Amino acid sequence: MAEVTRERWTSRAPFIFAAIGSAIGLGNVWRFPYMTYEYGGGTFLIPYVIGLIVMGIPWMIMEFGMGRYFQKGAPGVFEGIGKKWEWLGWWPVWVAFMIVTYYTVVIAWSLRFAISSLTVAWGLGQAGAEGAGDFFFGTVLQLSDGPTVLGPPVWFILGLLAFVWLVIFLIMFRGARVIGKVSIFLVILPWLLLVVLFIRGVTLPGAIDGLNYYLAPDFAVLGDMEVWFAAFSQIAFTLSLGMAGMFAYGSFIAKRADVNNSAVITSLSDAATAFFAGFAVFSTVGFIMQALNIPVGEVSASGLGLAFVTYPVAVSMMPGANALVGVLFFLCLFFLGTTSAYFLAYGGVAVPLMDKFGLSRIKATLIVTIVAFLVGILFTTQGGLYWLDMVDRAASFYGLLITGALACLVVGWVFGPGKIREHTNETSDIRVGAWWDWLIRIVVPAGLIFVMVVGGFMKDLKEQYSGYEVGALGGSDIIWILLGVTLIFSILLSLIKTKTAGGGE
Amino acid sequence: MLTGAIVSTIVIWLILLGGLGFCISRIGRGGEWED
Repeated sequence: MAEVTRERWTSRAPFIFAAIGSAIGLGNVWRFPYMTYEYGGGTFLIPYVIGLIVMGIPWMIMEFGMGRYFQKGAPGVFEGIGKKWEWLGWWPVWVAFMIVTYYTVVIAWSLRFAISSLTVAWGLGQAGAEGAGDFFFGTVLQLSDGPTVLGPPVWFILGLLAFVWLVIFLIMFRGARVIGKVSIFLVILPWLLLVVLFIRGVTLPGAIDGLNYYLAPDFAVLGDMEVWFAAFSQIAFTLSLGMAGMFAYGSFIAKRADVNNSAVITSLSDAATAFFAGFAVFSTVGFIMQALNIPVGEVSASGLGLAFVTYPVAVSMMPGANALVGVLFFLCLFFLGTTSAYFLAYGGVAVPLMDKFGLSRIKATLIVTIVAFLVGILFTTQGGLYWLDMVDRAASFYGLLITGALACLVVGWVFGPGKIREHTNETSDIRVGAWWDWLIRIVVPAGLIFVMVVGGFMKDLKEQYSGYEVGALGGSDIIWILLGVTLIFSILLSLIKTKTAGGGE
Repeated sequence: MLTGAIVSTIVIWLILLGGLGFCISRIGRGGEWED
């Protein structure tokens, strides 16, 4: 096996910003604020912070720590535990690959809307507000009737997808050194844009009502299991864990540098970004409620509906600077998405390929770029949204939760978390106690399985996911097939002999 | 209702920024960033 020198973050700041950039993404804008509003307002932050302490931060320390300990991406880490566990390192690589293929398409939609915002193409005033939904589903997506009616790609989106991948490739083909430097810029920029959007939002009429819906506490909900599920699910999905990439990012940390403190800073920065984004989002929701004279329940305040329908409605109705606000909002989504996308593509997929097959960085990043772009064409077709929904359910719900739970169980019960704790404590600003071992052994995997079961596993078993039908198969069947096929490919990859001892440069 | 939202905002920012402030104050107590 060829021994090679591991690439390194140049200092703490590039690493922290790269990690924050991977964690903060579209979900911070379109998921967290809605969850807070829906599950008890300000009270939601109590289970959220508890979830962060007992699940999110320990899990992140584990992924950073294991990456640093073995100096490898996810497959190399589990190969290091034992050859028979290597497949468990490849499964989240497939999760990262599946996610990045459609996540880049959503980034392309954001760019499409940034361009369309220049002229507020869906219309101004009441007409624009009424036409925003048709603009997204009809003009932008040209959405067909179902997943079997694919039609041709939407060429505008396909062109933008190619541009998005060009940007990602140009950032990642030089590795951690460039990723770290670019991340400082690409994390601070959306923060500044959120400040502008916050100022615009809170100066709109009705903003106070929206913020009141966002944050008014309801302590009665603390006894409700659904609220705890919501908080733990947000933790599970927001930190970009369970997607292989954090093992790789951890492997680039210098051998004598801090791990634990960086994990806490990353997690808290992610939470602060999401909390702040909620002010920009819900002040705007309040404005729409007043401008259209509708109750809060009728405003779509999460997911694609918030980003690509509700926010354009607000842009149409604003008393001034409509185009500017639209452009800034969608550029903000573009930057937030891009930092997560190159994390998935590089840390999640390219680094494991370099580690395993001894590929040069340029070759590995080029392969990932081309193959992921080609797969992503599916999601630019007229039926692409349906497939995006199913692949999202398979990868970022089941894939992430299953592989995350299994990884913690193997580290906790086979490898021994004490070794990692001592390894990271030795060089970290903050030390963790033996209690951390039990969080990795029991609490984190139990939390992830809890989220999976309560989040719809039984429902997906009983009925087909979202009622989709693809020939004789239903939506849930497609999800199980995707999970099964990626598991088989993971096992097959683990049977191939590893060509490098170190990976990286 | 509005008072609750304001108090929530203050408390949550205190927790998040206080936590970040604590972490930042600990920087440098661990190891070096160069091998």
